[in-house]
Amino acid sequence: MVAFAKLRERLRQRAAEWARRRQGADRLPLTLARRRLYILPTRAGMAFGALVLTMLIAALNYANSLALLLAFLLAGFALVAMHECHRNLLGLSLLEADAPPLFAGSTGILHLTLQNASQAARYRVQTAVVDHPEVPVDLPPAGHAQVELSIHAARRGLQRIDRLRVSSSHPFGLFRVWTWVHAPIAVIVYPRATGSLPLPADRATSAGTWPRGAGGSDEWFGLRPFRDGDSPRQVAWKAYAREAPLLVKEYSSAGSPLRMLSLDAARQPDIESRLAQLARWIVDAEAAGELYGLELPGELISPHRGPDHRHRCLTALALYGSPDAAVSAARMR
Amino acid sequence: MSAPRAVAEIERLPLLWVCAASAAALLLHAIQVPAWVTITALGLVGWRLAALLGAARLPGGIVRVGLGLGLVAAVFAQFHTLNGLLPGTAMLMLMASIKLLETRSQRDQYVVIGGALFLLLAACLYAQALVWVPLYGAQALLCCAALAVVAYAPASDDGRAPAPGLRTREVIVLAGRTLLFAIPLAIPLFLFFPRLPGHFWALTSGDEAITGLGDTMTPGGITRLTASYAIAFRVRFEGRLPPPAERYWRGPVLHEFDGTTWQAGRYAVTDAQRLDCLTTPYRYRLYLEPTFRHWWLALDTVMGPPSPGVRYTEDYQLIAAEPVTQSLSYSATSCTRVRSLAPLSPAARLDDTRLPAGSNPQTLALAMQLRGRAGSDVAFVQSVLAFFRTGGFTYSLTPPPLGPDPIDDFLFHTRSGFCGHYASAFVDMMRAGGVPARVVTGYLGGQWNPYDGTLTVRQSDAHAWAEVWLADRGWTRVDPTAVVEPERLYRGILDLLPLGLSVPERLLHTWPLLNTALERWDALNGWWNERVVGFNYRSQLTLLGDLGFHSPELRDAGWVFAATLLAWLAWVSWQVGRQQGRAPQDRLGHAYTRLCRKLARTGLPRAPHHGPLAYAQLIVRYRPDLAPLVSPLLEQYATLRFGPTSASARDRDVRAFERAVTRLSVPKIPLRASTAGQRLKKDFPGA
Repeated sequence: MVAFAKLRERLRQRAAEWARRRQGADRLPLTLARRRLYILPTRAGMAFGALVLTMLIAALNYANSLALLLAFLLAGFALVAMHECHRNLLGLSLLEADAPPLFAGSTGILHLTLQNASQAARYRVQTAVVDHPEVPVDLPPAGHAQVELSIHAARRGLQRIDRLRVSSSHPFGLFRVWTWVHAPIAVIVYPRATGSLPLPADRATSAGTWPRGAGGSDEWFGLRPFRDGDSPRQVAWKAYAREAPLLVKEYSSAGSPLRMLSLDAARQPDIESRLAQLARWIVDAEAAGELYGLELPGELISPHRGPDHRHRCLTALALYGSPDAAVSAARMR
Repeated sequence: MSAPRAVAEIERLPLLWVCAASAAALLLHAIQVPAWVTITALGLVGWRLAALLGAARLPGGIVRVGLGLGLVAAVFAQFHTLNGLLPGTAMLMLMASIKLLETRSQRDQYVVIGGALFLLLAACLYAQALVWVPLYGAQALLCCAALAVVAYAPASDDGRAPAPGLRTREVIVLAGRTLLFAIPLAIPLFLFFPRLPGHFWALTSGDEAITGLGDTMTPGGITRLTASYAIAFRVRFEGRLPPPAERYWRGPVLHEFDGTTWQAGRYAVTDAQRLDCLTTPYRYRLYLEPTFRHWWLALDTVMGPPSPGVRYTEDYQLIAAEPVTQSLSYSATSCTRVRSLAPLSPAARLDDTRLPAGSNPQTLALAMQLRGRAGSDVAFVQSVLAFFRTGGFTYSLTPPPLGPDPIDDFLFHTRSGFCGHYASAFVDMMRAGGVPARVVTGYLGGQWNPYDGTLTVRQSDAHAWAEVWLADRGWTRVDPTAVVEPERLYRGILDLLPLGLSVPERLLHTWPLLNTALERWDALNGWWNERVVGFNYRSQLTLLGDLGFHSPELRDAGWVFAATLLAWLAWVSWQVGRQQGRAPQDRLGHAYTRLCRKLARTGLPRAPHHGPLAYAQLIVRYRPDLAPLVSPLLEQYATLRFGPTSASARDRDVRAFERAVTRLSVPKIPLRASTAGQRLKKDFPGA
């Protein structure tokens, strides 16, 4: 069984590679053409074929005309179903794919916009990032739909999603038509935002020292919803026990809104942990509405705040040390 | 709260369809299988439905296995075998219903639908009559629709409610359209798929008789038949028809009499009769409805067996090895007046003059008396017929019951009866007078159907008459009923005794419009039975011959079959593609392209990465003079393209946008040497 599954997997790989060579690279928007649609009977389809064959033999044996007609009708039915299944994808357009950045280790979303230009509705169009669960969607005649595909990011950096699968076994589940789309979709994966060090003090007062006892975060600020990477120590467990949502206690460091974050400040054993700590700080600083900047070897982002700034900083962390950095810098300018 | 309920609804729907398809498949067999099978199977479906609605709990695995084994045992106890069509059907019905009980996944549902389709096939094996065809079609549609619903709603393992999907109407339309497209394939396949002569393996035949002539006759036994309007067979003659008084159709011939009941007795098989045909022989083709009996019917005296598998007896019967379970047709030649060239064998003479000792003494005395007075056998026949004619006999379908000596009772007391009574009494008297005689049962008459040019013989035409052996002619037909009621020769029982019929049949018979409709329906049924049900290996070869294949073989059928398959595939591909249709022209996009082309003439072409609003900003930056003209247009485009609007409003606005684009004329002022020339290069790479 295991050997069979392995063989299957290898066959699948080979088929996918063959399709990639055959189809070449794609660019969105893309309309699915006849040449790139592949269709095979499903398990149910093969069982249906066996059923029709049995019926045929029974009808021939009994020399029963009506039974024979039924068997032929069902055979024709399956063949029409094949065409209808093929039609369900033929001419479908993939307009755009867009994935907001996500943190490493988390599951993000790829927004894929599909367009049905035909007069007939398309049902059960299943799309997926390869090796991720499929998401079915129905498209009305001459309509659009946006699907949210889940993607998983293991490591920070520029993650390329180079293969989407679009498939459908509508209308009767007897056949499955599918295609692979090799469009260059890149997702920026921020470093995992972890690390428990407190935010470094602002430049005005800091210079590497730790003033005011517990890191300046002693002033009760309020509660906010839990976010990825929050330290368990900050969670308002008492509130949680009262069946409130998971909340985090926030303290604002009064009078120190300007932070300059750097690798040196993040005292962690290795570079990835330092980047993670920096990501954590950026997230916290942004949440607290403080001004912060980032200093990395070869890149200096002056203090600012707001979603764009946060993205810029986190992207710099994501691409730190990777060859994509230059590409990205060019793109983001 | 509403989301989980929506999920439940969606998951409930496929199962409801599957249950409906199963129940319909079970009901198709309600007539054939024992009632307990249908009731049990329907009960299991009901159980599943109750569980679905939360009113019952599904049984565990042990219960299901126990139930399955128990039902197998019950089927075995009923039929003493699990082999054969009927036990197999019963098993399939029960097992499919048990499978329904454990239906959870999509795969299980597919299996149950497959079972329903196979039950539909079994129904076709039982009855192929045209009446059932719409029902079968509806069931096929139901199964296919269930397939669509099951395929549409996969088990949602992520717990998210699937989008509201196919509506019931759409499902029916989808399945119906797919089946309709399949019909043009099914028909040529049916015609050209290579048929095989004979069976792959032996079939067990059903032993249930439904109706028709019996191999015994107790006067009164035919009453039930006379009221039936069902078709017994249809005949198409080559050339002229026999006159109505000659339309005697021979069925079982009865020789043995025990005083009350006539029986077939033994029959001798022969290859050919030594017969002299006194009239021109009639050639015809007879389309026999299933009788579940061994007899093949034929006009009066058939001259030879129509098929090698059918035995031809010395009393001119045709007896097949297999009972007639499907409608069939055969060609035969018959004579209505014959003379035997061979003498009657002593054994046959003994059989056909034998009477039970001591029964019907009064009849015996009368017969002896008449025979004594008559000078010859022919004169004796005449005098007995005269006795029937003048003795105050009446023809009745509801005669009074007869006593222990039924013929005495009939001849001397009740004097009222139908063909069976008269034939029985006549033969009894003949034998009493020493003349060999026998009872022939069959049909008398036949109604001309102008719509397909056949004679239709109904069960209500059932009749019984006599044959006597006359020295110089051999077996001669004598119909004593015709003496009592001469009209019977020309008109069916229905015309003679309309009051003896039930109300709907009387209505049917007296209302010409209904009668015409019935004739048409009969003709259609005849066509169906002849052309569709009766289509076989031979018909296929004939068809290929008609298509121009000389000495056609199986292989030719294969070629035509492959050619039609390809033609059909092309047609379906075109049809399915066509229904997709072209998108309505993107008028908005068209207008936008025109607008951009106009603006490009100013030296500011739109780069592919510019959205309409970004483009508007750039135009405004470099050509502020154009801003009041162009900006609103581009903004309007963005709203129309991406904003939420109703369909009708959008239509109107798109038209307005088109007109505005047409009206727009861009003054072609050369681009002033800009201070931001460098930036221009970047923003407008095409400039």
